[in-house]
Amino acid sequence: MLGYLARRLAMTIPTLLLVAIAVFALVRLIPGDPVQVMLGDAADPAQAAELRAQLGLDQPIPVQFVHWIAKLATGDFGHSITNNLAVLPLILDRFQVSAVIVLVAVGLAACIAVPAGLAAAWKQNSLLDLSVVGGATLLLSIPSFWLGLLLLLLFGLKLKWLPVIGYVPFAENFWQAATFIVLPIVTLTMVEIGVLTRMARAASIEVLRLEYVTHARAKGVPEWRVLARHVLPNAFAPTWTLIGLVLGHLLGGIAVIETVFTLPGLGRLLVDSIFARDYPVVQGCLLFTAVIYVVVNLIVDLCYPLFDPRVAVA
Amino acid sequence: MRRCRPSPAWALGLAAVGLLAMLGKAGAETLLRTRLNADIRSTDPGTNRDANTDGVIGHVVEGLVAFREDTSIGPMLADSWTVSNEGKTYTFRLRQGVKFHNGATMTSDDVVWSLKRWLDPATQWRCLSEFSTTGIARIEKIEAPDPQTVAITLDQPTALFLPTLARPDCGQTAIIHRDSVGADGKWIAPIGTGPFKLAEWKRGQYVDIVRFDGYVSRSEPRTGYTGAKDAKVDRVRFNVIPDSSAAKAGLLSGSLDVIMSLSTPDLEGLKSQPEVQLSITPGLALTGILFQTRDPLLKDVRIRRAIALSIDTPQIVDAVMEGTARPNNSALPIGSPFYGEVQSHGYQQNLVEAKKLLVLAGYHGQPIKMITNKRYTYVFDSAMLVQAMAQAVGINIEIEVLDWATQLDRYNRGDYQSMAFTYSARLDPSLSFEMLTGPKASQPRKVWDNAEAQEMLRQSMMIDDRAKRQALFDEMHRRFIADVPMIVLFNNSELTALRKSIKGYAGWLYPQPRFWGVAVE
Repeated sequence: MLGYLARRLAMTIPTLLLVAIAVFALVRLIPGDPVQVMLGDAADPAQAAELRAQLGLDQPIPVQFVHWIAKLATGDFGHSITNNLAVLPLILDRFQVSAVIVLVAVGLAACIAVPAGLAAAWKQNSLLDLSVVGGATLLLSIPSFWLGLLLLLLFGLKLKWLPVIGYVPFAENFWQAATFIVLPIVTLTMVEIGVLTRMARAASIEVLRLEYVTHARAKGVPEWRVLARHVLPNAFAPTWTLIGLVLGHLLGGIAVIETVFTLPGLGRLLVDSIFARDYPVVQGCLLFTAVIYVVVNLIVDLCYPLFDPRVAVA
Repeated sequence: MRRCRPSPAWALGLAAVGLLAMLGKAGAETLLRTRLNADIRSTDPGTNRDANTDGVIGHVVEGLVAFREDTSIGPMLADSWTVSNEGKTYTFRLRQGVKFHNGATMTSDDVVWSLKRWLDPATQWRCLSEFSTTGIARIEKIEAPDPQTVAITLDQPTALFLPTLARPDCGQTAIIHRDSVGADGKWIAPIGTGPFKLAEWKRGQYVDIVRFDGYVSRSEPRTGYTGAKDAKVDRVRFNVIPDSSAAKAGLLSGSLDVIMSLSTPDLEGLKSQPEVQLSITPGLALTGILFQTRDPLLKDVRIRRAIALSIDTPQIVDAVMEGTARPNNSALPIGSPFYGEVQSHGYQQNLVEAKKLLVLAGYHGQPIKMITNKRYTYVFDSAMLVQAMAQAVGINIEIEVLDWATQLDRYNRGDYQSMAFTYSARLDPSLSFEMLTGPKASQPRKVWDNAEAQEMLRQSMMIDDRAKRQALFDEMHRRFIADVPMIVLFNNSELTALRKSIKGYAGWLYPQPRFWGVAVE
């Protein structure tokens, strides 16, 4: 187990290095640079050159890359060009916001989607199945920003139950913080229910057709026990993989929801930094997201044997 | 020795006063909540800055002089000044009894220290280059003959000295207390003289400024960045809210009091809201269509002129700005004191003449690429309308939409055929022309490369005589219209929405808010 872990972690190093190179190069391939964005239409060339030199942007790109990697190796992600904040604390600060929303939303979505998918598969082609599939497809097709804005309009403006803008960290005031993230969580949960229900249903249908399910039923095992004992654990494994992928994907990328609800999350930080061409922050965010992806998938793989005894981690 | 013991009655009185003070403080703090579309860059004026930074810091610090409502220069921390030595020495009399936020009284020593700090390259002041050999003038001497007097000597006379000192993007060349920086010269926080002091900056979330109780206001009425500055609210909170629909929702739900820099499509929804009032003020920023006069096709002035004659500027402005802005083909903004009868003459739509010019130029439908962006909807909309109108005389404009940073890059390199573009506000007519005029060989971003215009511009920066400057600007306008290096369409408006409970707010030519004189009822 430990050997497996060590090997998996070692394997991530080349992956991350490739990501680092790609990210560094791609960000610089986009036309425009942070100095121009900072100075706007009033960019005096001498002033721009001076600022570039201050920021080290006048050096050859390979030299800049080596500087960046050397600092990364010591855990220093550099400083933002636009506001001079240290990048790693900035990312961690923003990540907390995104992580709470994503973890709660995906958790809730899984709690609803897995039983719903199982029920739909159990009663395949019934009215229940039709409504679950229909509902999931509908949720999948709704753009999250639109759903978010509608919820804002209803609960923020019309009913005035929840605040419309702003964010309070949990450490400051738990209940107030909760009121700010209810709507983003609901929005994300609804979208993810759509994704996960379809997966849970498909996996359950496959398992329900297998011989050991027929065998169990033939033995006279009660139907609830067939579902709970034989179908659910086996059908959950592929859904679990999907949850891992979804988590990895969302932890760095709920920029749209963060923008609609004005939350200072990681996704918005990334988007804003791209528009401002804030290279160190863009690089930091993307690399951090890659690390999260790798770590989440590693955790998912390590948990796999818990659901599927046929898979052994060695 | 006699020991002094407070009597019980005395102690009781003291406690009562303390309690009252606490109650008063707890119950009555008035808060005004507004919005920034992005976080400020720093609290150091005129260095690591952008428009949001200038807007917040403009409440905290002040300079010797400041812009008035009509962009003329008025005294701020200076009481008056005289110009001597053939226009090269400015002697400022300082106002008496001006307090810094730490309670210290401002003297000429502080002014000299602040100015020397700005001129130190280590400060990285944005406007340092203005006072170098390539700028408007070099500062040769700064002296303080007495605690209320400061004399600044330049190496040559310039009409732009005071306007440059007052520029908001230069941090208004703020006079700050030396404790604003640490012993190592590093910036800590602004200890200024403004009507508000900086309270808290929660990065990515909000900036709070609170009323400075020791503020000594000027006596004349509020005008621009000077005049009376009476802080009527205890605290102003600038919330960082990038998304404009979220900001609008915040205003409607009552969690925001003021939102600035609205776009025209926002107005329609807000007009009908009973709890919202609007403030629409003409601005200084300028939107128009730039032409690359070195382009093989567009170097022919007849084609550029044909485009200018094919469009109906008033109609474009009406459609794009929905009645909030007036058409203007001049490089000078309508609000400028130098905008007169001459400047009001621009292009008249004339399709027959446009077609004739195209035939003469041998134009037969070659595509003309026009860059635009969606960051500024009015820029995008303007490009679309120009394209449609030019099509009517057979001009084939192809629109290319880029993100703002990419467009800026192309602009700075002069790498375009034409582009719809927006310039930020310039507070002096010379600067309005300076942003457009210059040799393309050394400054590719400049649109108007005309040697005679450059000479007139240079003169306008040197002489202080108003009539002579006006004559120069009039002549430059005529040539600008004849050369068609760009088509100016309009000056943007500053659109602000406020809750009805906000009293005393007024926009002005410069696109920055002022929260002194503003009350929450």
